[in-house]
Amino acid sequence: MRNPGKTGPLAGVIMLAVLLIAGIVTVMNSIPLSIETVYGFSRYLTGVSTRGDAAELPALEEHFKNSPINIERQVRCRTSIFNVKSIVGPWPFVMYGLRDQDVPYIVEKFELGALSGRLPVAGEPEAAITSQIAINLELEIGDAVLKPTDDRSYSPSEVKVVGIFESDEWLAFSSYGYLAVNHFPPIDVFLLFARDQLEQRKLDAWAEESLKGRRAVVFTYPSLQRDTADTFRTLFKILNVVVGLLVVVIAIMMAMLVNIYLTQRIVEFGLLQAIGVTKSKLMWRAIKEVTLVVVLGWLLGAALVYTLLSIIKAQLMDPRAFALNPVDPLSYSYTLSVPVVILLAAAFTVWYRFKVFDPIAVVERRVV
Amino acid sequence: MIKAEAANLIYEDHGREVFACRDIDLEVGENEFVGILGPSGSGKSSLLYLLSGLKNPTSGSVSFEGKRYTSLSDVSRSNLRIRTFGFVFQQPFLLGYLTAFENVLLIDPNAANARQRAMDLLESVGLSDKAHRMPAELSGGEKQRICVARALFAQPRAVFADEPTASLDHASGEAVIRLLQQRRGGSLLVVTHDPSMLTGADRVLHMEDGALVQR
Repeated sequence: MRNPGKTGPLAGVIMLAVLLIAGIVTVMNSIPLSIETVYGFSRYLTGVSTRGDAAELPALEEHFKNSPINIERQVRCRTSIFNVKSIVGPWPFVMYGLRDQDVPYIVEKFELGALSGRLPVAGEPEAAITSQIAINLELEIGDAVLKPTDDRSYSPSEVKVVGIFESDEWLAFSSYGYLAVNHFPPIDVFLLFARDQLEQRKLDAWAEESLKGRRAVVFTYPSLQRDTADTFRTLFKILNVVVGLLVVVIAIMMAMLVNIYLTQRIVEFGLLQAIGVTKSKLMWRAIKEVTLVVVLGWLLGAALVYTLLSIIKAQLMDPRAFALNPVDPLSYSYTLSVPVVILLAAAFTVWYRFKVFDPIAVVERRVV
Repeated sequence: MIKAEAANLIYEDHGREVFACRDIDLEVGENEFVGILGPSGSGKSSLLYLLSGLKNPTSGSVSFEGKRYTSLSDVSRSNLRIRTFGFVFQQPFLLGYLTAFENVLLIDPNAANARQRAMDLLESVGLSDKAHRMPAELSGGEKQRICVARALFAQPRAVFADEPTASLDHASGEAVIRLLQQRRGGSLLVVTHDPSMLTGADRVLHMEDGALVQR
């Protein structure tokens, strides 16, 4: 600390390395995080439909009666697809077509907050959305969320937003009547609700298992998580290689910097050894100092990462309702390899320098 | 107290053996002030390093109070140097990020009355008013006086001074030697090429080509 001219560059490089790695990982990780955030509504329900044959619906209904998990409510609805924005382009999102009698239950189950405007009228081209979707698509009451001119968010009539719920959840619904008449496929979807999240996961598991091999398709939150993990597995493998290479490069660079740092202090070490400070004491002292600098550099780097990511989140992500976690544990855990490898490289450098070090050369000024 | 017997120090230089010290027989007594004179390259500094245990003789022996340096471990020799000996080198080596006071304390900051002793020593070398200055703010003579204070901090049984006046003007050099003479609590060995610095010495030895010669 008394020697900032020499310790500063070391700490600075570590800070930048931590910033670089954590920044890359956090931004990468914001994609699966966004998926789980945008489609997070599926935590509350188990969706089941047939594979294109409406005649199968009564059999499915009969099947649900065998559920070992108590189904708190069974909502029969229609669906349509529209697009929301993400940092990697448009993503499909579901518009539920709900019957009037199911709407209060859904509102309560999803803990939707205050409603600005009103609920959609049955059979009319109207929709209610949550504030996250409104922010994402820059929609206000009266704007169209589905349009005849929009291939990706199509409806034969302009479906206008008539209500916006204050909520962190992403949810959109219109009336069953409007979707049934105007949207494909003409097949109902069952939304099964359990008492709580624990029961819901059991219901998910039962539905997935018991409907395996049947002409039914099951949508659950765990399957979303599995699919997301599968999708990003390869990407994260590549990321591991990139971060690994980065850490190796940084470690080599840091070993060189530690070498320069020790060279700059060679007079000090030579003098101290000449006047009687033992080599092992000096080595420990050098390693302790490097450890302090590395730990401090990592902490400052982590603080810098948090600050910059918080600014990015506030300025770039939140206004578009994109997900980004400035305290993503995965990002910070990736950066831990930096101080560990640097400490190993530094310890080796210190050991080697002291092994071949001759204090006489210093006091005779042969090396200064 | 310090005794060298048939001590040789040989360097290897491009496959050729070079005698830095040749057949040194020497005994330095308690509280004795010994000056070592000789031209550059005559082996004066090497002799000082042998006598202080900084270097091992290639053959022969060097001992302190009957204990051969070569029989001591690295740690024991380091402890001997830091607790029993004091060193002043040609250049006034100070740690640039410590104050003058902290540089004096460097030997053992946790010793009893360490701070008081460091301040007393700074006072005795005339630098108590500059105790909290950084080395960059001090002149060459002042730095070397700090080094003298540091060398005397542990109340050493012997002080080894290797050309302590070489980088100073004559007056500053004399002042440094005077301080070493007055403040030492034990033996003093001074290597120099300037005979005028050794006027108070009990004995002056002459070196040529690594050997002690009679004058």
